[in-house]
Amino acid sequence: MTDWFTKLKNAKKSCLVDNNLKKIHYEFNDGKELVEEYDLSTNCLTKRAWRCNKQLKEEATWDIEVGDPEPQYNAEDKCMIREDSSQPFITRRITKINLEWRIRNLPYPIEVYSVNVDQESFFLIVRTTNKKYYKKISVPDLERLSIPLEQENVTFSHRFNTLIITYKKPKKLIDFEKALFEEIKQIQPKNYGEGINGCNPS
Amino acid sequence: MASAAAAKIAEVRETTRVERIGAHSHIRGLGLDDCLEARPVSQGMVGQLSARRAVGIVLQMVREGRIAGRAVLLAGQPGTGKTAIATALAAALGSDTPFTSMAGSEIYSLEMSKTEALTQAIRKSIGVRIREETEIIEGEVVEVQIERPATGMGTKVGKLILKTTDMETVYDLGGKMIESVLKEKVQSGDVIFIDKATGKITRIGRSFARARDYDATGAQTRFVQCPEGELQKRKEVVHTVTLHEIDVINSRTHGFLALFSGDTGEIKPEIRDQINGKVAEWREEGKAEIVPGVLFIDEVHMLDIECFSFLNRALENEMAPIVIMATNRGITKIRGTTYKSPHGIPLDLLDRTIIVPTSPYEENELKEILSIRCEEEDCQMSDNALTVLTRISKETSLRYGMQLIMTSSLIARKRKAHEVDVEDIKRAYQLFFDEGRSVQFLKEYQQEFMFHELDDDMRMELS
Repeated sequence: MTDWFTKLKNAKKSCLVDNNLKKIHYEFNDGKELVEEYDLSTNCLTKRAWRCNKQLKEEATWDIEVGDPEPQYNAEDKCMIREDSSQPFITRRITKINLEWRIRNLPYPIEVYSVNVDQESFFLIVRTTNKKYYKKISVPDLERLSIPLEQENVTFSHRFNTLIITYKKPKKLIDFEKALFEEIKQIQPKNYGEGINGCNPS
Repeated sequence: MASAAAAKIAEVRETTRVERIGAHSHIRGLGLDDCLEARPVSQGMVGQLSARRAVGIVLQMVREGRIAGRAVLLAGQPGTGKTAIATALAAALGSDTPFTSMAGSEIYSLEMSKTEALTQAIRKSIGVRIREETEIIEGEVVEVQIERPATGMGTKVGKLILKTTDMETVYDLGGKMIESVLKEKVQSGDVIFIDKATGKITRIGRSFARARDYDATGAQTRFVQCPEGELQKRKEVVHTVTLHEIDVINSRTHGFLALFSGDTGEIKPEIRDQINGKVAEWREEGKAEIVPGVLFIDEVHMLDIECFSFLNRALENEMAPIVIMATNRGITKIRGTTYKSPHGIPLDLLDRTIIVPTSPYEENELKEILSIRCEEEDCQMSDNALTVLTRISKETSLRYGMQLIMTSSLIARKRKAHEVDVEDIKRAYQLFFDEGRSVQFLKEYQQEFMFHELDDDMRMELS
C-alpha cells in the first residue's frame, strides 16, 4: 500500500492488553519508537505517542500526538516559563469518521473564528478576527499517507468555551486504518484479561 | 519626609548587581594587530611584547583547532603579567571557545581524587557544538507583572503577556525566569525571544508601535516589527556545551536521589567512555563538531608528581585541549618528591611544553599600567602622583603600587579633593607597609614579638 503502512508492518511490534485498552509498541529500524492505544469496544485509537529522544539528555519524554497529555508532576519546580492555565490549549482525538481537535479556554463567540486549510503543508490554520488566538495545526495522519487536505471536510463549532474542529476522514484514511487494525489483531498480546503484567494486586 | 519616601523606594527597588573590579578586569584582549604583532598599549595590555606575540600564535593554533594536547608554560617573576596574559587569551578567544581557568591547588579536595579533578578540568575545556531543535517563544511584550507577597518573604509570582500580530498569550513565570526578566529589564514594548528549555531571554529590539513612547532613546535601540503568526515556534539552534556538562547531565542520579545530590562528585569512567563514543558517532554523522579549548593552570608548581605524570598521559589523547600553565618558581622541589627541577615541573613534562618567558616591566610600562588601573578603579590622579606611584611600584612591586591607588583615592576623598595628589600617596605609603618594609620592621623589633626564638632549622623549614 503506502510507505507508511509497510513501515508499520515491518516495525518490531509488541502488544499488551489492559482492561479495555490494547496497547501496541512499535520499534522502527531507525530507532524511533511509537505507542498506540486502541479502545477495544469501539476499535478507535485513543492515544498515540512518539518517543522523543533529546540528543544530550537521557530523559525519555513522550510526544503526545493523539489523546490527553500526560500529567506533569512537580511542574512548579521544573518550569521556567509556560502558558497560564487559563490560556487556550489543544487536544486531539480520533473518532470512527472524524479527526477532531478541541481547543479549550476560548471564550470568544463563533463568528470570530476561521479555520482554513493550507494545501501544501498539511496544516489547518485557526485564526481569530480579534487577534487573540492563532494556531497552525499539523495533520500528521494525512501527511504520512500524503492525502491532500480539503477545505470542505472541515467543520467547526463552539460550545462551553471550547472550539471543536472536525475533519471528515477521507476514504483512503479509513481504508488504511482498517487494514492496520487487521494487522494489529494478529499480534498476540502477552497477557489477556488479568491485571497489568498478569499480576494480581491484592 | 522626602528622604523617608526615598528610603522606602530604595528598599523596594531590586538590587541590580554592579560589576566588581577585579585584579584583571581591565583586560579585554591580547592587544594584537592583524599580523599578530603586539601593540605596545592596547586592550588593557601593556608591554610584554614577545610573550604576547607568542601567545598570539598559540591563539591561532587554538582557533584552527587541529592540534591537540600541546602545553605552554608561562614562566616569570611574580607580578610580570602571566595571569593577565592568560585572561587576555580567554577574552580574545571569545565566549564560544571553552576556556577553563584553575589554580594548581584547586585539585586537592576531600570529595574528589586529584586525577578526577584534572580530568574534569580537561573535559571542561573541550566543547561540542551541536545543532538542536528547541522550542522558542518570540513576541512583543504587552505587560510584565511581578508580584512579591506582602510579607516580603516567599516566592514571587510572575506573569508575562506576549503578543504577535495574530495572537496574545499569558505566560506564568518560574522563579529563575523572574530573576532573568528582572535582570534583562524586560519592559512592555520590547520584542524578545525566550528559549523555552533554558529560559534564556534575548532582546531583539523595541516594537515600531512603541517608537513614539519616548522622545529620547539610546543609541543602541533597534526598532523591529512585531512578529507574526504563532508565539511558540520550533527553531534549530547551534550551541556549544562542554564534554563535562554532557558527563554531568548523563551521570546525575535520577529520581529521589537527585533531590539531594546537587552536583556530582566523581563521574564513572564508563559514562565518559559512553559519551566519547556517542560524540564520535555524532561527529561522523555531522551532527556535532568538536571545539577544542584551553585549560589554564595557574600556580602549576602546586601540582604534585602524580598529577604531572597524569598530565603527560592525558596530553597524548587526541581529545586533549591546549594546556597553558603559569608558574613563578625557579629551580625548586617537585611537589611529592625530593627532586629538584626547573619551575618545579618534571623534565619529561617540561620537554613537552613550549616555554614563554615574561620579564619585569620597565618604568614607562609600569606608569601605563597604573594609569589604566586608575581609570578602571575610577580614580583621578595628578601626573606628579602617578610618577611617584610609578617610582614606588618600581622599588617595591607593581601589586603594592596598585593597592595604593584605591587607598590613596579614599584618603583624597576624605579631604574632599577630586584628584589624588602626591600627599595622599605619601600618606597611604606610610599607613600601609609593603613587603620589604614589613620584613625590615620585623627584623628590627623581632625581640618583642612572640615565638621569635625559633631555632635555626625550624626557620629554614618555614622559609
